[in-house]
Amino acid sequence: MDATAEQKYNLDVVRWFAVMAVVYLVVGASVGVYIASELAWPVLNFDSPYLSFGRLRPVHTNAVIFAFGGCTLMATAFYSVQRTCGVRLWSNKMAWFTFWGWNLVIVLAVITLPLGLTQSKEYAELEWPIDILIAVVWVSYMFNFVMTIANRKSSHIYVSNWFFLSMMIMITYLHVVNSLAIPVSLFKSYSIFAGVQDAMIQWWWGHNAVGFYLTAGFLGIMYYFLPKQANRPVYSYRLSVIHFWALSFGYVWLGAHHLQYTALPDWTGSLGAAISLAMIIPSWGGALNGMMTLSGAWDKLRTDYVLRFMIMSLAFYAMSTFEGPVMSIKTVNALSHYTDWTVGHVHSGALGWVAMIGIGALYHLITRCFHTEMYSVKLINLHFWAATIGTVIYVVSMWVSGIMQGLMWRAYDDYGTLAYTFAESVEAMHPYYAMRAVGGAIFLFGTVVMLYNIIMTVRQSMAEGRVEQARTASLATA
Amino acid sequence: MSNPGEYFYTDWAAMTTNDWVGVILTVVVFLLILAAYIYALYPKNKEKLEAQRFIPLDDDQLDGGEKHGR
Repeated sequence: MDATAEQKYNLDVVRWFAVMAVVYLVVGASVGVYIASELAWPVLNFDSPYLSFGRLRPVHTNAVIFAFGGCTLMATAFYSVQRTCGVRLWSNKMAWFTFWGWNLVIVLAVITLPLGLTQSKEYAELEWPIDILIAVVWVSYMFNFVMTIANRKSSHIYVSNWFFLSMMIMITYLHVVNSLAIPVSLFKSYSIFAGVQDAMIQWWWGHNAVGFYLTAGFLGIMYYFLPKQANRPVYSYRLSVIHFWALSFGYVWLGAHHLQYTALPDWTGSLGAAISLAMIIPSWGGALNGMMTLSGAWDKLRTDYVLRFMIMSLAFYAMSTFEGPVMSIKTVNALSHYTDWTVGHVHSGALGWVAMIGIGALYHLITRCFHTEMYSVKLINLHFWAATIGTVIYVVSMWVSGIMQGLMWRAYDDYGTLAYTFAESVEAMHPYYAMRAVGGAIFLFGTVVMLYNIIMTVRQSMAEGRVEQARTASLATA
Repeated sequence: MSNPGEYFYTDWAAMTTNDWVGVILTVVVFLLILAAYIYALYPKNKEKLEAQRFIPLDDDQLDGGEKHGR
């Protein structure tokens, strides 16, 4: 039991964010499996607009990115900034405002998106009143984090805080600019950008949501929680500094690679692709830095299942940060764009990297914040294998499906006419869509196991009064 | 493109304000990242920077390692 931490820091809000992150992971993955099943078996639409793929897909993306991802980032940032700075959060009230405000955003998303209330901007679908709420809540999160750092007792700001901070600053900037819109009613607005500028702003946001929210933020998690779990210092601090600055300077250039072969000037896409290729270097440097933290202690992977999640996530991080730049090259993009290959790439990053590093950090956090062992280590192991196997099945099915799609769409006969109709390509995808749904269901099974394990751990902690004991323990004997 | 000079030819007179802003920003970012690399890799800074590796391990008395989350 860590009575010192319980009494010194605000762990209450961390506990709530951590538990809600797991709940939202199950919800988001459930909707994902359902819409994946709809693509394989369209009868599941039940002819209801509220259950159609077009409306449920943003529910899935918002749930996994902003609900699960957001709560994970808030739990881990609020926890690690206190620990690395040696001070309590600057404002408890503001932290609770962030918690309730963020959860209100999630509830509003779950209500409005199935009703078809959307700005139709990918990963920024929510209408303008909710966008304003997001901005206010996000700034409260950032302000509290910055002020906690400002009050720190240590002279140095640890690298994980740099990564969290870059995410907070950039997401504020990106969200506000991309969401600029003219409201015409309470639930309808139009973007102030038009045509190709709108497309460029959208993908400047879209790719940096990946680059800063899902990469920089989760790298902040990696740089704190991996050394903690392994009980070893990060392999190279200098490499982490280079990783940070190269990622911060480089990522903002990449968005244009989403718009190859469009009305966007050709050079813009080429520049995006060139910088994308350059980004392999810092990304792999970071992945190796994480993995080499276990140098000389690889045996820990035999027995520490939480560590397995973290190392596996770095393998997926390395893989997807190689695959992405390759897909941005124009010749590859000509085949891959608009196909399921992109979906496979996104999910190797989302399931393999983001979810797994987040899950590893959450297991670590739950035991530290509830002052007890996990209810079942065997269930963590089961979760690890379900997550890994599910992700691999998902990604492989989309690779095969996507490449087949690309090849079918551009196949010509001797007379220069298309060899296949679009409907034929859809028919050919069916086995892979079914396989994708199965892979997603296996991953979902793992998340349900995690939720059960965590509920039982929390109940065990409450039954034994562990948090209360930590609060009231004399620090001399704790 | 057989002539490299032709490939790198730039009509400077045709540069707009946007073009100049872009060029200057690109060069400034390049120089800043170069400065960051030099700072991080300068041998004299090695000890100072690597000493920060231990911050997460020094922040409590708990053991990590093979304890499945504890």
